[in-house]
Amino acid sequence: MVSDRIPPLISTQLTHLLAHCPISIKVEQMWSGCMNSSLLDHFTLVIPFCLEYVRWDIIYNAIYPLAKPDVIFGPEDEHFRPYRGTIDSKNALTDWNSKDPTRLLTLVLELRDLYRDYQKKRVAEVDDERLKFEISTMLSREGIEMLMSSGLDKPEEVKFAVPLLDMDLNKMVLGSTWRHQQKIYLQVIYPVGRKYSTTPSAPRLKLVSSPELKSWFSVEESRLPAWLDGMCMAEYLPTLEEMLENQIREAVALVEVRRKFITALAPHFGRPIEADPVFCRKVSFLASSGTFAFLVHISIPLQFPKQQPVLVLQSSQHFNSHNVPIKSPIMNDYPWSPRWETSVMAERIFDFLVEECLNFKRYCNETMLQQR
Amino acid sequence: MQGIEGQNSATTTAAAAGGGGLYTLPPTRFSSEDILFCIDVDPECLVEMKVTGPNGRPFTRLDTIKQGILLFIHSKLAINPDHRFAFTVLGKSVSWLRKEFSGEVDAALSAFRGLSADSSSSGQADLTQLFRIAAHEAKKSRAQNRILRVILMYCRSSVPPQHQWLATQKVFTLDVIYLHDKPGPDNCPQKVYDSLVEALELVTEYEGYIYESGQGLTRILLRHMCILLSHPQQRCVQDDVDVPKSLTKKSPTTESASVDESAPVSSQ
Repeated sequence: MVSDRIPPLISTQLTHLLAHCPISIKVEQMWSGCMNSSLLDHFTLVIPFCLEYVRWDIIYNAIYPLAKPDVIFGPEDEHFRPYRGTIDSKNALTDWNSKDPTRLLTLVLELRDLYRDYQKKRVAEVDDERLKFEISTMLSREGIEMLMSSGLDKPEEVKFAVPLLDMDLNKMVLGSTWRHQQKIYLQVIYPVGRKYSTTPSAPRLKLVSSPELKSWFSVEESRLPAWLDGMCMAEYLPTLEEMLENQIREAVALVEVRRKFITALAPHFGRPIEADPVFCRKVSFLASSGTFAFLVHISIPLQFPKQQPVLVLQSSQHFNSHNVPIKSPIMNDYPWSPRWETSVMAERIFDFLVEECLNFKRYCNETMLQQR
Repeated sequence: MQGIEGQNSATTTAAAAGGGGLYTLPPTRFSSEDILFCIDVDPECLVEMKVTGPNGRPFTRLDTIKQGILLFIHSKLAINPDHRFAFTVLGKSVSWLRKEFSGEVDAALSAFRGLSADSSSSGQADLTQLFRIAAHEAKKSRAQNRILRVILMYCRSSVPPQHQWLATQKVFTLDVIYLHDKPGPDNCPQKVYDSLVEALELVTEYEGYIYESGQGLTRILLRHMCILLSHPQQRCVQDDVDVPKSLTKKSPTTESASVDESAPVSSQ
């Protein structure tokens, strides 16, 4: 964060946090604690926790830049009192050194760990037999986060974020520059307060992935295995993980299928202007029809070849009234078969565009005339 | 059409596979770009292009350059929204027009509002400061896993650019667009072109491209800008550039020949 309005010591600590934090924390807003000042010494951090977000306000004081910051937690967490009763033991605020750029990050990570423990205690206090049983079977898994969720109009619920698959997804995609560790989680939501019955109902289940993963793998396309009557987490998770593992291996193979397709387009369309070499999801070419030069943008869906690529043409010579180059409507309905050889797919797209670019040229000229 | 096509002998680059050979797309690291435009604002940029603009207004080289840059930015963002752009101008030396790299088209539009030609010619074009700025910015780009590219848009027909840059390290790519008058007894566009090629070969990290035109046709500049869209880490040597490829029906035995691009046609 570079801004003349942030006092330098604060800016350094915040920049360090954003650059080095292993989880993806964001700054939502910044403001000044002093009415007369334009110096930004307060800010809100949005911190991922249990597949949701907590918002904590970090309160520095520009008038006392060497003083340690205060932290204000959300209104629903008024019972979260980290460092209470720890007068004699050291914590991230002890011996605060404002000149050390790493201190804010250390503080936030420590508080997040304490918050996790606090939520775990709250969940453990819930008087629900079934819940207690499920938790006991899940304890051996590392990295589970849980939280109590309740609101004025909402029923009490316990939410779990269960990390799945003991695989390093980052290593499975060659050339990926994902900064954070990519992970797939199962979100499990239990309603609370029911008595243990002989056939407990299924919890609400949802697969959630870290956001950057979606250029390579879509959890939305995964159908969860059925939750059979009387099942528990300990039985459900292995089935789910086996299914996911197969899907992950398929995703790895599909990158190469897309790569092969992009390569097959080059003999027809020339060397691409730019192609995505890591996920092989997009490629753009420069083509012409007579003296009319235009770009061909091709985006390749994750379900390729079952689902066909989407084509868009963009003129280099026609601009609309806002000086934006004219684009064709998206084309995803042209003749297609997933059973064609890759080279045939490329050829058919080429043949389709030979015809279509003439329509596009006409469309561009008409659009320009309409603007006169 | 007087061609001033020099031979752009290839500087060896890390990732260029020959365009003449089979195209491959290996899973190498891939960086988004920070693109620094350098626009020549010598009064020669006010020379009019052949075709008038909308409403019959004269269309200068500077107007064409602005349109070319807008086309470039829109297209580059359509290819990949992560690329970013900043702007400098070249009079006697180089100075910032807009310093922060941004992926917003509005940033370019607001930079253009502050863009105007110099009132008198400085007689010199010193690129040293441009290279110094580029080398400095390139370090910052690299720290963010991005690469820096300079696109120089030059308009002078009698003033070859100079510089005192040692280029001990090649840390950015340089592309050049050169708009000039037709060669005559009072100018030396060939000499200017040769100096531009020399500068390019000295400093460029990846394969740099240079395109020139003395024809005064906007369409040609726009087409060259489109070729410059090509990502430096995936380029072939300039001699092997085979785009734009003509989309015409192939004959049964051979690929169809490209349409003759110099055929006189209307501007669109």
